[in-house]
Amino acid sequence: MSVMAKPLAHAHGHEEHDHEAELRKEHLLLDPKPRGEMNAMVMDMMGGTTWKFWVVAAIMGALVLWGLVYSWGMMIVNGLGLAGVNQPVYWGLFLVHTVFWIGISHAGTFVSALLRVFKAEFRRPFTRAAELMTTFSLAQAAVMIFAHMGRVWLAYWMFPLPNQRQLWPNFHSPLMWDFLAINTYLLSSTMYLFLPLIPDLAMARDRSTGWRKKLYSILALGWRGTEGEWTHLRHALNIFAFAILPIMFSVHTIVSWDFAVAMRPGWSSTIFGPYFVVGAIHSGVAAVGMVLVAVRALMKNMDYFIRPEHFDALGKLMLIISMAWAYFFFNDFMVQWYGGDKWTDELLHFHEAGKWGWIWFLMLICNIAVPWLTLWNKTVRRTPWAMFIIGLLINVGMWAERFIIIPVSLSINRMPFRWGDYEPGVEVPIFIGSLAFFILLYMLASRILPLVPVWEVQEGQMAHSIRKYGKEPVVTVSDLE
Amino acid sequence: MAKNHNIPEFKAEWKEGEQGKWGMAIDMDICTGCNACVAACAMENNVPFVGEEDAGYGRGMHWIRIERLWEGKYPEIKTEFQPVMCQQCGSAPCEPVCPVFASVHSQAEKLNVQVYNRCVGTRYCANNCPYVVRTFNWFDYDRPEPLNNQLNPDVTVRQRGVMEKCTFCIQRIHKAQDQANSEGREVFDGEVQPACAQACPADAIVFGRIDDPESRVSKLAKQGRGYKLLEDLNTLPQVTYLQGGSHVRNG
Amino acid sequence: MTEKNMLLALFQEIDPAAHAVDKLRAMGIDNEHVNVISGTPITEAMLGRPHQWTNVPRLAMGGAIGGLFVGIFFAFGTPALYPIYVGGQPLFPVPPSIVVMFELTMLGIMLSTFLGVFLDARFPSYSPKVYVPEISDGYIALLIDCSPEQEEEVKKAMTEVGAESVKTAEVQPL
Repeated sequence: MSVMAKPLAHAHGHEEHDHEAELRKEHLLLDPKPRGEMNAMVMDMMGGTTWKFWVVAAIMGALVLWGLVYSWGMMIVNGLGLAGVNQPVYWGLFLVHTVFWIGISHAGTFVSALLRVFKAEFRRPFTRAAELMTTFSLAQAAVMIFAHMGRVWLAYWMFPLPNQRQLWPNFHSPLMWDFLAINTYLLSSTMYLFLPLIPDLAMARDRSTGWRKKLYSILALGWRGTEGEWTHLRHALNIFAFAILPIMFSVHTIVSWDFAVAMRPGWSSTIFGPYFVVGAIHSGVAAVGMVLVAVRALMKNMDYFIRPEHFDALGKLMLIISMAWAYFFFNDFMVQWYGGDKWTDELLHFHEAGKWGWIWFLMLICNIAVPWLTLWNKTVRRTPWAMFIIGLLINVGMWAERFIIIPVSLSINRMPFRWGDYEPGVEVPIFIGSLAFFILLYMLASRILPLVPVWEVQEGQMAHSIRKYGKEPVVTVSDLE
Repeated sequence: MAKNHNIPEFKAEWKEGEQGKWGMAIDMDICTGCNACVAACAMENNVPFVGEEDAGYGRGMHWIRIERLWEGKYPEIKTEFQPVMCQQCGSAPCEPVCPVFASVHSQAEKLNVQVYNRCVGTRYCANNCPYVVRTFNWFDYDRPEPLNNQLNPDVTVRQRGVMEKCTFCIQRIHKAQDQANSEGREVFDGEVQPACAQACPADAIVFGRIDDPESRVSKLAKQGRGYKLLEDLNTLPQVTYLQGGSHVRNG
Repeated sequence: MTEKNMLLALFQEIDPAAHAVDKLRAMGIDNEHVNVISGTPITEAMLGRPHQWTNVPRLAMGGAIGGLFVGIFFAFGTPALYPIYVGGQPLFPVPPSIVVMFELTMLGIMLSTFLGVFLDARFPSYSPKVYVPEISDGYIALLIDCSPEQEEEVKKAMTEVGAESVKTAEVQPL
């Protein structure tokens, strides 16, 4: 489907052909296969589940039962006392993990919306894999939000619906802004996941039998691919891509305002908005890298769709975002350090030299040193297992950042008589449960949903070609939209 | 749409008296740190006992605490005791952050009231309180027989997952107001005594109407020795601490 | 357009399909009587067909305005219905209201865009339709509505231009 330009002069050789062959091997979008073959590859990915898969799924299921059902159930029945929170550290790992999961959710939107808007073609094969991460991680964030509540069975009181007691929630509260923002983001990402999935569901419908055919027929809504249907879909996707970006920025900004509007030393910082957004993208893109390495290693035919070029591009992004994070962190730190307010001084000292000082250093090493020392190197970027480890370390670093901001900062306040310490309790099994739940959901989705948006890949392949510029074969991209 | 003339757009425009009605003056020079106020408050308000381990881990439920402040080294130590309870801030930072309006400002008593049956336990209010005076029910606390006989029927018992704090013994304020109404008069100065003020053997805690310039608490508050905790945060607390000499000042 | 007695011509490449559209127009079968079904989005201009209108952007604008009104209700209506004073803040605080109105406007855009696709494309629709599975394998199908007399001519013309197959369209369950 791509047009091969004939060389202008007959000066041959296989140098040019080799160069072209190299380009094709390197770039998915220059290496088209017939659509039917790609469809078969994607359908193949969903089948042929081995017993090993079910063993891992069973383990994940067991962890979910232990962490989310048993441990959380015990906490609901007995009280928040089973967690590690106390006076003054009223928020601990639950809030850390809420922010962590919302941060990871920015991965999907970043890849499918921001990269689409900037016409970064390399996003094509993995937008769906990233968007699935968004939906599933937002589900985990919701688990954490519900888990931190003292009387979670009354959580519906935060819903602004007319009721017979004529009560309304308090929109002065950042928690209500969170409620609106996170729900908007969750609904929007799920819709943005579903819309481009429809043509692939139609493809799956056409190529399956039995219960799968029934499922896909229902979900594909009767899609055929008429001019009208494509027009509506394309317009909707453009609107979604542009509109979901301000939502993405606003969600983590509003989450950061949970802390920034409070009058605590270390929290009342005006830079928290952009700092948190960049931090979320940092952990999100790193997590996308991890998921892609896993998916490529574990799923059939994925190595055709996801190539070292994709890790290369992600790695460059991770490096730049790490620099942006370092900029915002230093901004926040420098201004606090210089200002010299007595309580902020105490807090900064506690961050670096207190009981959890090693976490503060871990944060800096994982978020700055690790990316800056590795991601400038092309070979490292193109090595999947290296990218997995780097992504993992960045996520550890971002976890550490949120740990410092929440429980460690809460230990210090303006009343030294009420400074306190934090020791995690039942938050740990609940987090393990949510991690297992995320993995389990992803594993099950990989069996049911076509993980690669084949129509988008084909669209990209149609738009890419190799032409001769002077003597060099170069990649050209046409704007087919 | 209702416009409350008590809350103009900017707090700077609030007039004195609009900020509060009930207040306290606590004399740190006479407080001996005996903790009678702490015990009395716990008895009056059904504050639960959490046990030694939880108390050590910062889970104590006391609504009032005695802070011990000292200067110098043994044997030349100067000590001070400061009872700290909810300051009933005129501009309380705990109020706007509650998502369900469980922490609100009562327009009648001009106090910060915690609505137990509305609280869903997000604990944002506690994080935003600069005085760290709010406590949380981490469990449902037992009162094995015969301790349950000690419960005060005027005050509710809170469920696990609910936030609580000092209320200036609002049940006593209401009782006094009901009594005064039935007798067709105003509450006179000193008629309402919260449990802490009642129990203090040194009479260090004085309670009354701060919007009445003739009340004992107003006169004490206007003395040169008076200061407010963390005043520059502009929370407009309704408790004035009296402290003389060159002692350590908190904040 | 009743989908009976229609011809379905399948093409593998875009150029023959575009020529076919021209040929059909030359034979007197205008754009109204030809529908294009494909496995990847093909803009109308690529086939020389008129612009396809869609209501989705207008519905999105409508949703934005609807969302804004809901946001205004939450920010200013609910405190009027349930006036509670907190933290020395005014009853109708401006900065938090901006946050609320923004989020609900965005939610309005997203929901109405999504539902707009359903509305415009008449989804979900499970009744049997003219379709062949080859379309999701990347083929371009021209659905031609012509009079019975013209059928033979059309079939010949399509095959000439390079159609893989031309046959009578069959309605099948999707």
